[in-house]
Amino acid sequence: MIQLSDVSRVYQRGADQVHALEHVSLEIPAGRFAALMGPSGSGKSTLLNILAGLDRPTSGQVVVAGQRLSDLGEDALAAFRARHVGFVFQFFNLIPVLSARENLELPLLLTRLGKAERRARAETALRVVGLEGRADHFPGQLSGGEQQRVAIARAVVSDPEIVVGDEPTGDLDAKNAEGVLELLRTLRREFGKTVVIVTHDVRAEKYVDEVHHLDKGVLIDPQAVRAAEAARR
Amino acid sequence: MLLPLRYSTRNLFARRARTAFTVVVVGLVVVATTLFWSLISSLKRTLVGTGSPHNLIVMRKGASNDGSSQLPLEALQAIRFFEGIARDERGEPLISPELVVQPFFRTRDGGRENVLVRGVEEMALRVHDEVEIRSGRMLRPSSGEAIVGRGVASRYAGAGLGSELAFGRGRWKVVGIFDSAGSSFESEVWVDVRELANDAKRPFPYSGFRLRVAEGADAEALARRIGGDPRFALEASPEVAYYEKQSESANSLYVIVVSLAVLAGIGATFGAANTMYAAVQSRTAEIGTLRALGFSRAAVVLAFLIESLLIAGLSFLVGSALAWGLGLSLSRALGGIAFGSQTFTTNVIELRVAPGDLLVPLLLALCIGLVGGLAPARRAANLRPVDALRRA
Amino acid sequence: MTRFAPFILRNLGRNKLRTFLTGAAIALAIALVCLLRTMPAGLDSFLNGLAANTRISIHNQAGLVYPLPYSYLQKVRSVPGVVEAVSWTWFGGAFEPEKGVSFPNFAVDPEPLGRVYEDHRIDPAALDQFRRYRDGALVGRATLRAQGWKVGDLVTLQGTLYPVTLSFRIVGEIPRDQDPRFWFQREYLAQALLARGTSFDQLGMIWARVDDPDRVEGVMREIEALFRNSEAETACETEKSFFGNMFGSLRGFVTVILLVTAMVALCIVFIAANTASMAVRERVGEIAVLKAIGFRRRLVFGTLLAEATLLATVAGAAGALGSLGLTLLLRYQVSGWSPQLGPLGAFVVTNAILVEVLFLAFFIGIVSGWLPALGAARRSVTATLREVY
Repeated sequence: MIQLSDVSRVYQRGADQVHALEHVSLEIPAGRFAALMGPSGSGKSTLLNILAGLDRPTSGQVVVAGQRLSDLGEDALAAFRARHVGFVFQFFNLIPVLSARENLELPLLLTRLGKAERRARAETALRVVGLEGRADHFPGQLSGGEQQRVAIARAVVSDPEIVVGDEPTGDLDAKNAEGVLELLRTLRREFGKTVVIVTHDVRAEKYVDEVHHLDKGVLIDPQAVRAAEAARR
Repeated sequence: MLLPLRYSTRNLFARRARTAFTVVVVGLVVVATTLFWSLISSLKRTLVGTGSPHNLIVMRKGASNDGSSQLPLEALQAIRFFEGIARDERGEPLISPELVVQPFFRTRDGGRENVLVRGVEEMALRVHDEVEIRSGRMLRPSSGEAIVGRGVASRYAGAGLGSELAFGRGRWKVVGIFDSAGSSFESEVWVDVRELANDAKRPFPYSGFRLRVAEGADAEALARRIGGDPRFALEASPEVAYYEKQSESANSLYVIVVSLAVLAGIGATFGAANTMYAAVQSRTAEIGTLRALGFSRAAVVLAFLIESLLIAGLSFLVGSALAWGLGLSLSRALGGIAFGSQTFTTNVIELRVAPGDLLVPLLLALCIGLVGGLAPARRAANLRPVDALRRA
Repeated sequence: MTRFAPFILRNLGRNKLRTFLTGAAIALAIALVCLLRTMPAGLDSFLNGLAANTRISIHNQAGLVYPLPYSYLQKVRSVPGVVEAVSWTWFGGAFEPEKGVSFPNFAVDPEPLGRVYEDHRIDPAALDQFRRYRDGALVGRATLRAQGWKVGDLVTLQGTLYPVTLSFRIVGEIPRDQDPRFWFQREYLAQALLARGTSFDQLGMIWARVDDPDRVEGVMREIEALFRNSEAETACETEKSFFGNMFGSLRGFVTVILLVTAMVALCIVFIAANTASMAVRERVGEIAVLKAIGFRRRLVFGTLLAEATLLATVAGAAGALGSLGLTLLLRYQVSGWSPQLGPLGAFVVTNAILVEVLFLAFFIGIVSGWLPALGAARRSVTATLREVY
């Protein structure tokens, strides 16, 4: 489903050049729940953005859902994301002046669906995350955990193949975090979606199928690192 | 404990773009209000400010202005030596017989306006003591000469010193330019009264008399005596009251201009308040920090209020300077602003921003500063420090 | 785009105070611009209304206060090309002596009046009455309204120029909204003056109608030539030129007004732009997420621009409507014709002005929203997310 070949990403921050990713190659088959982990500044968010079609690599190839992303212009890339990728962020997922249902209908405005159809899909998505009773509540009236669940519902409302999340449990307490991870696993198990998240949360290892570790922009194998350290001693 | 003044002043410079923006907005309001206000007061100054408190104006009974009055020579002779009229060193009564005519004049940019031409004798300068000749000299009788007011000189073709001015049926040589403390005399042309009567072919030589009341004399008694003379239907009234009445017709104009100015002021206050509100809102976290540090609500509000008033003050300075410059260049470019008067002649107003005109704009700016700064500052200061910091 | 309407509207409701303040500022400014716009518009429409006719004025070249001999009237009538000519003489009567002359009143010749002013469409019955009754008066609508008179009323005017007081009966109206004129019979004044021992053999000015628009220029020159080198030389001009000159001096006043209007409008653009940019800045994170889920840049730009434009246009419409109310108030004060302002004081908000002003409001919305919307649309999603996190 997701193939990155020799991807590097360099960007400007003020006067410096930051090498966020260095020659990363990664393959995530369809229907897997993957986690990208690593210390702060390791480039995991950058990696996520690139495989989600949100950012372009400075060099290397990215193929997602059979589409070579470098072939797409800005607008086409946006359309690609709308169709194939669902997003869950740590903050700012929901528009505060729209109700939960209206937030879910937002991505559907980008499709050709009529009003009734949009409403129906939104309700379905809300049911998946177990919040159909909160359809008319505004984000301000929902708890942090409920907001993230609505965000996940929004990520799947247009039925994309892939769902990505950047620290989706970062702002939540233990109980809610587990709830969100469980929900994401359900997306993979019951709906066959490919889910990739960036996370600090060690609890995630229980729910995901594979973990990829990054450090200073490079994929590393933690077992190999530990073995090398042990060997040195 | 109060926040140091430096906090308020430094903040102005720290957020230069925002300060500049607010100054521009409020400054524009100040410019607009100042110009409107100066327009009215320039008009008032000209119309109401004319006339000497020591003078009486004598016209035919029933005439509403000295352009529509007609008086014979006998009337002058009858009242000349009345008790109560001031005398000069030689014992001559200070009474100025005058004839008012309104011929066409061509403006410098080709327009056509009625201008008040006053036929006078030597005595006129003594009776109208606010009139001073600034360049050139007084006209000589029977010489085809004229002196022009400052407003006339700049507005009409051929009205400069030494030029030949064409109006009525003849040509007149401009030998002097006078001013009169901004009053409506500056919109007049003075010539010899006999020559004017001849040119206009008036059956009566005069349209009115202006006389100086003697020091300590009873002006009312004199006026009554003049009005009571059975031979001629005369009416005498204080010169100042006469001009005040003339200016009343401009009242509808004042109403309009003031309404417009008020409208502009209100609209701008909303807008400027909006700007200042936003400025405070974006610093909610800062306010929270200050409160957490221990500054009282009053201290925080005061600091923001000072900042807001400083901006208002700065806007006022910038705005009034700009308005002053604009008024000057406009006046020059247009050759004065013209208004019609009751006598259907043109009053040339010099759009001047006088210090007194700045009072209302200053008040408006301060009001904007207060309204715009107080409400949001109070709201922010009333938040609990914790909430304010979280809002960041 | 309409499917995004609820989204756009909700965004405006985010900070209700800010939306209200900005809207109020725009509404008031538009009301002001609307009002101010009526002034030159009033002057222009008045002058344009005179463009098509073939009436010319003949007056003493020295000025309007310089009279012409009455004998000139007949001479003008006999010039080829002149259909009819009527004389006007300024009476300067005051209805309320303390207030002075509040509307222009003239002694005119009743017989030729109708033909010279055929385009005014004065009721023929009224004209007939005017001819027949010595003390009759024809009054323009503006004065009728201002003074609260109607046809049939008795009115007395005290002369300020001539030492007589005359009583009139209003026999008809001049059916033009902005017309303040008061016409009465010349003979009436002549007789009153005769009774006091004064003769009345002069006139103020002559209005003549020319048969053919192409001949106007030629006829005017011919009339001027007729009286050249006489005691009273004449100057001729078209009616439009005459009134253009008369109110021409108001152009200075109008210029100041227009300048102030422009400044107010500029001020408002700044304010609206500030609001728009604040609104966008607050939502930087949200907008990034929208773009992530697939909102194209053009769509983001469009919705943000629509937000600013909607606010400005609705506020502008409110302001325009408000100014309609205000003009009614002002007209009550100034009654359609002010001696100071003439046609500038009409304060008629025409449909053309309303449309103009709405366009201005719309334009303000676009200009104020453009840059912030563009900035938001262009901003890199990942850079924003980096900053925010």
